[in-house]
Formats: sequence, structure tokens, C-alpha cells
Amino acid sequence: MKNFLLLLTMLAFIPLGNVMAQNRTVSGQVKDASTGETLPGVNILEVGTNNGVTTDLDGNYKLSVGEGASLRFSFIGYKEQTIAVNGRSVIDLQMAEDIAQLSEVVVVGYGQIEARDATGAVQSIKSEDFNVGVISSPEELFQGKSAGVQITQSSGEPGASTNIRIRGTSSVRANNNPLYVVDGVPLSGTDVSGGGNDVGFGSSTSRNPLNFLNPNDIESIDILKDASATAIYGSRGANGVILITTKSGKSGGGLSYSYSLSASTITKKYDLLEAEEFLEASPGATDGGASTDWQDVIFRTGITQSHNLSYSGNLENGDFRVSFGYMDQEGIVEQSGLERYTTRFNGNKRFFNDKLKLSTQLTLSNVRDQNSLITNNSGFEGDLLGAALKLNPTFPVRNPDGTFYQVGTEQLNPAAMLAYTDDNTNTIRGLGNFSAEYEFFEGFNFKTVLGFDQSFSSRKAAYSRDLVAANIDSLGRAFFSDIEINNTLWENYFTYKKELSESINFDALLGYSYQQFNNRSKLIIGQNFRTSDTDIMINNLGAIDYTNGGFLVGNTTYETDELQSYFARVNLGIADKYLLTATFRADGSSKFGGNNKYGYFPSLAGAWRLSDEDFIPEAFTNLKLRAGFGVTGNQEIPHNIYTIRSRYGLPAFSEGGIDNNGRFDAVAFQNPNIQWETTTQYNLGIDYGFLNNRLTGSVDLYRKVTSDLLFRFNSAQPAANPFIWENLDADVINQGVEFSLNAILVDNSDFGWVFNGNIGYNKNRVENLSTVVNTGQVNGQGLTGAFAQRIANDRPLFSYYMLEFEGFNEEGLSVYANEDQQVYTGKSPLPNINTGLSNSFTYKDFSLSIFFNGQFGQYIYNNTANAYFTAGSLNSGRNVREDIVTNGEASSNAPAVSTRFLENGSFLRLQNLSLGYNINTSDMDFIKSIRVFGSAQNVFVITDYSGQDPEVNTDKSIDGVPSFGIDYTPYPRARTFTVGLDVQF
Amino acid sequence: MRNIKNFIILLTLISTAFTACTDLETEEFDSIISETETGDFTGNPAELLASAYGLVHEGVTHHERAYSFNEHSSDELIPPTRGTDWDDAGKWRALHQHTWDSDHPHNLPTWNNLNQGSFICNQVLAVNPSPQQAAEARFLRAFYMFNIMDLWGVVPFREVNDGAEIDPTVFSREEAFNFIIDDLEAALPNLPVNGPSANNIYGNRAAANALLAKLYLNKAVYLAENPAGPYSFEVADMNKVVEYADAVTEDGYSLSDDYFKIFSRSADQEVMWASDDGTIENRWRMTLHYDNNPDGWNGFATLSEFYDKFEENDSRRGGSGTSGLGQGFLLGQQYNEQGQEIINSRSNQPLSFTREVPLNGAASDQGIRVVKYHPDSALNYVMLRYADVMLMKAEAIFRGATGGDALTIVNELRTNRGVPALASLSEDAILDERGRELYWEGWRRMDQIRFGTFNDAWHEKEVTEPYTVLLPIPRQAIDTNPNFTQNPGY
Repeated sequence: MKNFLLLLTMLAFIPLGNVMAQNRTVSGQVKDASTGETLPGVNILEVGTNNGVTTDLDGNYKLSVGEGASLRFSFIGYKEQTIAVNGRSVIDLQMAEDIAQLSEVVVVGYGQIEARDATGAVQSIKSEDFNVGVISSPEELFQGKSAGVQITQSSGEPGASTNIRIRGTSSVRANNNPLYVVDGVPLSGTDVSGGGNDVGFGSSTSRNPLNFLNPNDIESIDILKDASATAIYGSRGANGVILITTKSGKSGGGLSYSYSLSASTITKKYDLLEAEEFLEASPGATDGGASTDWQDVIFRTGITQSHNLSYSGNLENGDFRVSFGYMDQEGIVEQSGLERYTTRFNGNKRFFNDKLKLSTQLTLSNVRDQNSLITNNSGFEGDLLGAALKLNPTFPVRNPDGTFYQVGTEQLNPAAMLAYTDDNTNTIRGLGNFSAEYEFFEGFNFKTVLGFDQSFSSRKAAYSRDLVAANIDSLGRAFFSDIEINNTLWENYFTYKKELSESINFDALLGYSYQQFNNRSKLIIGQNFRTSDTDIMINNLGAIDYTNGGFLVGNTTYETDELQSYFARVNLGIADKYLLTATFRADGSSKFGGNNKYGYFPSLAGAWRLSDEDFIPEAFTNLKLRAGFGVTGNQEIPHNIYTIRSRYGLPAFSEGGIDNNGRFDAVAFQNPNIQWETTTQYNLGIDYGFLNNRLTGSVDLYRKVTSDLLFRFNSAQPAANPFIWENLDADVINQGVEFSLNAILVDNSDFGWVFNGNIGYNKNRVENLSTVVNTGQVNGQGLTGAFAQRIANDRPLFSYYMLEFEGFNEEGLSVYANEDQQVYTGKSPLPNINTGLSNSFTYKDFSLSIFFNGQFGQYIYNNTANAYFTAGSLNSGRNVREDIVTNGEASSNAPAVSTRFLENGSFLRLQNLSLGYNINTSDMDFIKSIRVFGSAQNVFVITDYSGQDPEVNTDKSIDGVPSFGIDYTPYPRARTFTVGLDVQF
Repeated sequence: MRNIKNFIILLTLISTAFTACTDLETEEFDSIISETETGDFTGNPAELLASAYGLVHEGVTHHERAYSFNEHSSDELIPPTRGTDWDDAGKWRALHQHTWDSDHPHNLPTWNNLNQGSFICNQVLAVNPSPQQAAEARFLRAFYMFNIMDLWGVVPFREVNDGAEIDPTVFSREEAFNFIIDDLEAALPNLPVNGPSANNIYGNRAAANALLAKLYLNKAVYLAENPAGPYSFEVADMNKVVEYADAVTEDGYSLSDDYFKIFSRSADQEVMWASDDGTIENRWRMTLHYDNNPDGWNGFATLSEFYDKFEENDSRRGGSGTSGLGQGFLLGQQYNEQGQEIINSRSNQPLSFTREVPLNGAASDQGIRVVKYHPDSALNYVMLRYADVMLMKAEAIFRGATGGDALTIVNELRTNRGVPALASLSEDAILDERGRELYWEGWRRMDQIRFGTFNDAWHEKEVTEPYTVLLPIPRQAIDTNPNFTQNPGY
């Protein structure tokens, strides 16, 4: 901080730059040559000076110039023009689009480059290409839009956590997600809100920490895939980097408002037995005399509304944008949803003849989650969904006296679960940065950035004693889970850009970054209340019955970590044909042990623009060969796992009260060698464009080797704790190929058709692993300690390891191959192929887009069926899927984990269908444009999977080792229809 | 001039911009660092000792830990799979039939927790404990290592300051045996002298003496060339057993007037060590039916052959009773507190436990249930008690020691428990008497191995290979420490 003050003081002394004699004023208006629309934001520079200006909202400009001056007009996506003033005072100009320029700009770490100059595998997705509809987190915006990027939402819950795998899974830890950088501020990978405490229905995962961003505020999302691009982020770059750039006022604007209204319904319910069928199939079962569809009791049509208001504009030497967003999303399960308020301010202002540029981007959001009782690992009693699947359909919802029909803790009534629980999370988060950039001399800039990310999240949940459920019945339980995050960033860097000679362009970056992470959490659990009112339980905690075994227990944490880095990059362009990029980052992290405080991450990449060579036929508008290599790291490990230290644990308690004090246990062990995980990646790619770039795309080949795996592994006993983090001497290898194609098939004045497709193939494999690690916990009755996946040498991560089911014998008992021994099934939950296919049509003022997305080759373990849909379950008086009655299984058959429940999860989904219409507003003075649209999300899915939806990933980790691709009563996925409008004033 | 000024400012800026903010040493706010400046372990001996006591449940008495290897593998407990219940990927059947492998789900956690307990005791000894704290730590370390040695043969050992990079040394069974004996002998002088009490939750002299008797009684097993036998019991060792047993008596212990009182909060004659760690609920929930009150998990039962070893008037057998939950062996109809028949909600029939139970495909009411700790009176889990010591003494004399008459000692116990005296003693008679007295207390495997019956056939279990007297070392333990070799047979 002291350094920062010093810096600010110095900035104040910075000379005010050259003041040149100016004696003529030129003004004019700039328009698009083809449409005639005015162009705001066009850069106009007096050639040979730093004197320049940009056009305002209406495309107008005014500039004082010297005698004999020439003006250079430039605008991204348009052909640059230089015009001599020749004594004129008015110069109007029409600018033509420059297709050949491949005008796209991609944001890379600490800067941006034109796509044509990129040497790495990077992809930029602009807001106009985003998915539309109900979008609760930014990942949903670009699901399926980029080759090799697999996005799996863990469930259909509003704001559910999301798994993103860029070029395969390379780590075996809870957080495998890429690094997110929002307007230059790297976010920490930690959960922002609390997960669900296990009160007897299992625990649940936190919601997606990115929900705080309003998708409407996002201008572009840039994905850095290969190591030559991500190495600038060093020890956090190994899983790829996603750069989110928010909208600024640069592109003009004014006032705009948008509204949308959506309705969501469940796509697929399970075909369960109805009351009569149930009694027939299970003669011993109790007849409750009613006929209830328990699925209908918990599902509903969820209504979502969203409002977005923004105002932006260009000022003299600057621009700004303010926005306000509101979304109220109802989940398709009763009493679940997400409500979000966001405000954002982006501002840029240039001073001293544009030498100093001050910018700020601020967002403040409040996300209110309403949580349902749907968990990852409920026992055989079930969570809300499990209860709805298995409860006897002859039971009524309520008794004649109006109370809920609750017969036992084993037979939970979903309606009572809904009525007697209350679970809400309120998260306030502020993310922002302030930066100052100064140009010392032409091409040489210094930039300092101060960033912050603060959030406070509070989850409050109560389970009334009226709910007949184990540990709750007649007691009541509540928990309070708070997470407080306070991260700060300070970065300084120099950039230098110069044409060294006619044919050599040089561009360099040198910087320093310091980031501090503070994380506090608090968990309080209360049991045995004097009241059954959940509001009172939450808001008047004194209601605990302390004299009858009631208690309040809790624990808190406070951890702080630091990251200090030096980084550099050099770009060299030779003869406009050969491009070279070298980067280097040194990352020092307080998470690493004393012997390895700093990690060093280099990269090198080159590109050859073949299309500029004479021997390449004219048909190629663009042809570029890229090759890159880089080393990146991963440091998503807990705080200080290298010093032997201990904490007091949460007390052990049961129904009767507190049993024992929490043990004073070691949380870490001496481990001075612990360090980052290293990923070495090679990339070879081609960018192509034919037919004047009507056909463009790229092909990339890669190989990623992740070594020194950070692994929470068994300690060699005796030891102070059973687990220790180690850099395991094993490799995870991902290799694959990515292909993308963008084709402008029709481009008439009235009708347009653009096809956009991407496909990625990835192969995953573990090598040099000398042990095996089990994961993929399987829950259900008679499934204690059962698991479905094993990480083992020479196999893909999370390989399915289980009994091989061959059918039922004459007695209706399961027959397994291989003498009833578990075997590797040769199947894995990791898809080989990810694809996204979109077709966009325009006809006059209509636009239609159809977007498919698919994943192929993965298998899903259907723990839902294993736990609930068996003859034994039916025999115990629980409802089952219709086909169980006739499948030949005996009621005494124990359903072990086997290939019986392992299913092909390949799918192709019509993810998004949207139709828009631009209303003619030429005779409306105050309205610039109106667009109305309708969209449908998750229209249908083609799959053989028998469960609710094949895109599923319930967290079934064992001892902190994550699982993948297991389905256990997840929050179901919805089909959503949306109508909305956008108005620009 | 301006250029020079620019240049100086720039230089200052560069040096400022790149000055390190931090040395990356972060402070700990929510945990206590247990390392001195010189890298030695440090801590509070009382806290550490409490942590070491806190692993008894998670290492030994929990129904999925050492307890399951010691009881489920024996002839007095059967863990039936009941339809879809208790299949658990066959892990319970494997215990009963001795078909476990090194990946058995209970193997690694038991190993981890017992070793963790032994290591925390090392830590206590390294941080200037009081003489009594040191003695308790040695007693507890001996207890954890005794369990490890008994189950797996070998025992790993790590010095207190050794970090993650050091592979622990591995004691052979004989080295471990001597280490444990030395620990207990060293502990004896400074252990407190406690009379019998249900609240004897810390190490004391009588408990250490009882453990020493146990060790010497089984010494022949631990030092045998082949762990499955034959065993040669040395007279000197047997005399030691008598010596330590007598030392226990001297501390004021005697046989309880009421058998089931031993397992209650009012135990006042036999209990030399009981653990308050974990919850005792586990002991009745693991056997009781869903519709019993309190409700259970409808799990384990005893074998009818074992039940038949009891005579009619044996006070240790107990029964279902006709009002509320019974104690001892629950057979036949179950009643609620009002004396009404309990209905089995799974079948809508009266809940009546049957004698016979298959290992697989059992109905929900099959099998005799066993309740030693009654929900109305239970407090702590009994780890060591006097009747066991007396039976050990009798056995030692039977195996050659001097210091009394084995038959007299056994008959004293039998009379106390309400059954007629025996006319003579045999190996079978002693083993049976130990079964009737100590059923479901976690000693059966050890006893059956010593008497050479562990690999015999019984209900739902065939004759098994002798190597199963030792458990396989968990795969992960071998993978993390090159000093291990897997036990023979696995």
C-alpha cells in the first residue's frame, strides 16, 4: 500500500506532454459506407502527432490540426483511411467494412490483440453470439460455443455450480475450473456462498460463485486455451483462462431497456407406479387410501422475469456506462429460486491529450438464493427428490385434520419437507478496479491497477421439529453459514510498442502483480428448539431448549493468502508474416512450501501467416500456422498445507446432545516441498479463411501433460492426520483435436444464413500412477461405503470400476461376471467429443437461430436408479419406476454397484432456439430500435440415458477426491420459454 | 532537461512498481502452529492427550473399524444382508467369511485412525508432559499399537519431528510386542491408581496391568513363527499373566453382582477402563430393528449355535422381556413400553426375531439381536473389565502358570453369573466361557486365534485359509511407505 501512495504522488508530477501549435479546426461526420449509419468511436489521429479524437454518438468529430496535416481514420473492423486536410474545414467520410482484416479483437492477459496477430489458441465470443433466455451465470452464455470447452452444470438448479473443462480434465481436486479474470481482476477459485449442512438429508454444493455477474453487462468472453496464451497467468493458468470484459460506453449507446419473461417446466418426470399399480405390484405395502403423484407435489412451472436498464455515452475524451439489472428466477422445484440485483458502472476518461487514461469498472450485486432440500448424498431416506420418487403413492399429502401425513422418518413426506424447511442465502458482492495508464512517449505506457473483490454471504436454514425426519423430528435443527471474502489486487505494468524497422514490429510487456486473499467463514448449528416456527428458529435463536439437551455448536475459520508475481511478454512481428510471442511469469504464493515459494512459467509461440506468401493460392483469404509451447501451473490447494498446525474441531453431537468436544486435530503436516501442479502443453494450429473469409475457422492439435499432481493423499502412517497434500509423482495426459468452422452461406440483402460449428475430441489418460484411488461415492440402502470410480494407471480419470452385470438368474438374483469381482469396465464419464452447432438466419427484420450442443462417449452412473428403482425397494414399500415390476428381479436381490446402472450418456440437445424481430422505428423520434424476441431453451435432447437428463454431475467425492458423471437425485433440468424485448432510446 | 526528469521519474516508477510487497509469509489466525523456531514439535500435552483419547471410537469401537474385524469375523456375530439393506458391496459378508482383501472398506480407515492415535501419543511425549500425562500417553500408545500389532502383525513408527518426506520405520511383530511391553512397564509407576468405576475414562494402573496380562497371554501368538500357529505358551509368560491379573485385583476390583450393570452408568466393580469417546448409541442401533424403540438400523445378529452355548439360567443371556426393550439376547416377539406387540412395518406382521438367519437374503426379522448396552442406562463403552482378567488368569494357569486353581476361578465366575460349576476344564470350555462372558465386546477374534478355531467352519462360513489370522496391510499404506511388504497370502 505504501508503494501505491508513492506511485500516486509520482503520477501527479508527470509532465503534461507536448503542446503543439494548432491552428485549424476540422470537423465532420463519419458513416458506414454500406448502411449509411453514423459511426461513433472512430479514432481520428493527426498523422505524425499524438493529436487525436474519437467520434461522438452521432459520428461527429472536431479536431484542431496543424498546417498540411493528414488525418488517419481508424475503426476496428473497418478499412483504415488517411486523408490530407488540404485546407478543408469539413471532412465527412464513409468507411467501408474490412472483411479481410478479420477485424476481431481478442482479449489476452494484460492487453488485447487482433485475432490475426494471435499466436495461441484463443477464442473470443461476443455478446451477440451469446446464448439467450434464462441465464443465471456467465458460463451459460457460451456453453457449446467453443471447441474443446466442456461445460457441465451440476444440476438444473437455478445458479447451480458449473464444471468447465478446457481441453479435458487434468487435475484430481475439487476445483478444476479455469481462472476467471473480470476486467483484469483475477477471481479466486473459492466458493463465495455456503454449501448445505448435512442435517440428515445429505450435504449440498455451493452455488456458482459467478452468479453475481449480470450476463447483460458482458461484452465479450475470451477463452485462452493453450499454454502459450495462459502462461502469462502462471500458476493459475493450467486449466485455461476465461477473460470476461464488461460493456463500456465506447460503442455509444444512450438509454436501453430490456425485459424478458420466462416459464420453465420439468423436461422429464420419472414413470413411477400409480397408486393402483403400486398396490398390485407390492401386495404387502400399506394402502394409505389416496392416490398422490409426489413428483407433482414438488414440481411447478417456474416463472422468471428480468429487467435491465443501462445508460451509456461518449463524453469528450471518455465514455461511461451505468446499468441496473434485476432477475427473479423461480426454480421448477417448489421453494427454490434465485433473485439477483446488480448495478454496474464502467467509466473511461482521458486527460492531457489522451496521455493519461483513467478507468474504472465497478459492480455491486446482491444474490438471494432460495435453497431446496436437494442434496448430493442423502441416505436411503432420501432428500426432497428421493422422497418424492420413493414415497408410497397411496399416501395422502395431508391427514383429514389438515396436518401432514407423516408415518415415519424412513418415509419422508415431500410436502412436509417443503413446508417445514426454510433455507435462504443472501450474498452481497462487490468487484471493481481502478486503473491509471500514462503514455510517457509514443508506444511506451505505464499502467497501474487497483482491484478489489469483496463479498459477504449468509446462509440461514431451519428444519422444524414438526418434520418427521431422523435427527429433526421433535427436535428441530437450524444452521447458519457465513462466508466473507476480501481480496485485493495491485498491478503495475509497462507496455512498449514500436515499429523497429519497416518490417519488424515489437511489442513488450513487463509487470508486477500482488494479490491478497482473505477468507473467513462461520458455521453455527443449533438443535432442539422450543418452537416449530422456522422463522422464529432463524430469527430468535434463543428458542433453543437448552435445559433439555438443546445446544448451539459452531466453528469459524480465517485464512489469508498472498500471490506475488512478475511477468513479461514480447511479441515480434516480422515482415507481417512471422509472429513470435514469448511470455514468462514468476509466481510466488503463500500456498507453496518453504522450499518452493516461487514457480516459473515460460511459454513460446510462433505463427506464420501463410496467406501472405506468394506460393499460397489466392483462394485463401487467410491461412495462418501456429505452434506453441508453455508451462503453466495450478495452485488451487488449501491454505498452508506445509506447516504442522492444529485446530479445534466442531463438537460431535447426536440426537441426545453434545457427545464430545471437538478434537484438537492437526490440519497440516510438515511439508516444505509442496508446490504447484505443472502442466506442459504443446499446441499446433491452423487458422483458415476462404472465399473472402466467407468460410473461416481453425484446427488445433494439442497435448497437455499435467505432472506433480496436487493430490490429497493418504499419509504414510503413523501421522498426525490421515491425509496429506502431495505432489504426486504421476501424470495426467490430455490430447486432442479441435475444429471450428464459420460459414456465411447466404448473404443477400434480404436473407442471410450463417453456420457456425465446433467440435472437439479429447483423450484422457493417467500415467505413472503407482497406487489407486477410489471415488464416486454411491448412496442408497445397502450401499454404505460403495463407490463406482477408480483413478488408476493407464486409464482415463474416474474410470468406472464395478461388478459386471450379466442379468438375473432364475431366482431373480443378479449374476455378475468375473467371479463377482469388481473390474474396470473400460468406460469413463469423460466425453471424447464435445460439439456445438448453430445456424443463424436473417430475413428482412427477422432473425432465427438454432443451436445444438452435444457430448459423446461418456457414461453416467445412475445412482438414482441404483438407490431407488429396484425390486427390493418395491418390496420395502417404496415406489419404483414402472419397468421394475416386470424386469425379473427378485425382491431379495441386493442391488450392488454394477454395470446394471451404468449407462451411455451421449446426447445431442437443441439447446437454444430463438426468433427475433426488429420493429421499424424510423417514424418514432425517441426510439432508436426495438427488438422483440422469443426463445426456447433445452427444447429437446436425444439420448439413450434413462435418467432425468444426461448432463449431470452430482458431487460424489470421497475424501476430497472429486468424482465425475454420477447422477444422484439432482435438481432436474427445465425446458424454458422466454419472450422479451430490447428497446434503445 | 525534461527528458532527464522524465527518465528519473521513470526509473523511480519502475523500481517502485516492482518492489516486492510481501515475503509470502502469511500469518495463521485460525490454527495453532505446533512447531518451534528450530523446527521441533511443540504443543499442549493436555490437549494432545485429549485428542489421543478421542480416537478410540474412530479406531476401535466404531462398528466399521477394528470392532468389525474382531467380531464380524468370529463365531458370535453375523452381519446378514437383508434384501437391499446391508449389502454394502459385500463388505459385511467378506468379514464373516474371511474373504477380505487389502481394499476392504474398513481396512484403511482403521489403520489410519489407530496409527494416528499412536502418533499423537508420540507428540504428547515430545512436549514436556507431566509424569502422569507421559504415563497415560504411553498407556494409550501401547493400546493403539497393540491393536495394530494384533490385526496386521507389523507396526509402523514415525519420530515426532519427521515430516512428510520421511518413510516411517516398520516394527516386526516381535519388535512391536517388546516396544508395547516397555511402554506399559514404563507407564505403570506414574499411572493413577483408580478403583472400579463406570467413569474410569483415563489410563490407570489397573488398566495397564490388564493390558499387560492380555499381551503376555497372547505372546505365543505374536511371536509364533507362523502367525496361525502352532503356538507354544511359555510358563514364564503365563506366570506374568497371573502376576498382572493379581495386580488388578489388588487395586480393588471384583466380579459384578449384576452382569448388565457392568454396561451401565452405575458400574462399580469391574470396569477398569471405559471410553467416553463417540456415542454409545451405535451399539444398539447396529442390531435393533427399525421398529424397535429406540429404532435401529436392523443389522447384526448372533448365530443360533452361539446362542445355544448358554444355559437356561445364565444371567448373561438376558432376554426380550414383555415390556419395552429387553437386554442381552433378543429372540421372539418384541414389545413396546405399553406391553403391546411391536408391528414390523415392512411386513405388517408382529415383530418377532427368529433363531436362524442366512448371511444373504435375510428377512427383516431374522436373527437374534444382542443388546449389551441398554439405552436407558448406558454411559461409556467398556474397554477393559475384571471378568476378562479373571478368565485370563484361569487360562494362564490352565496353560501352566502357578498361582491358583483355574477351575475354581472359572467356577467363581459361573456361580456369580447364575450357572452351575463345571467339573473340569478344557480348552473348549475356557473358550466357550470367554464367549458367554465377553460376547460382542470385541475380543472374539483374538480368542479364537489363540485357541486355534478362527479358521474353522461355522454357520455361513467355510474353513478358511490360515493366513486370514492377519489382515492385509492396506494398499495405500504399502503405496506410501516402501518399508512394508504385504502379509503372506494377500
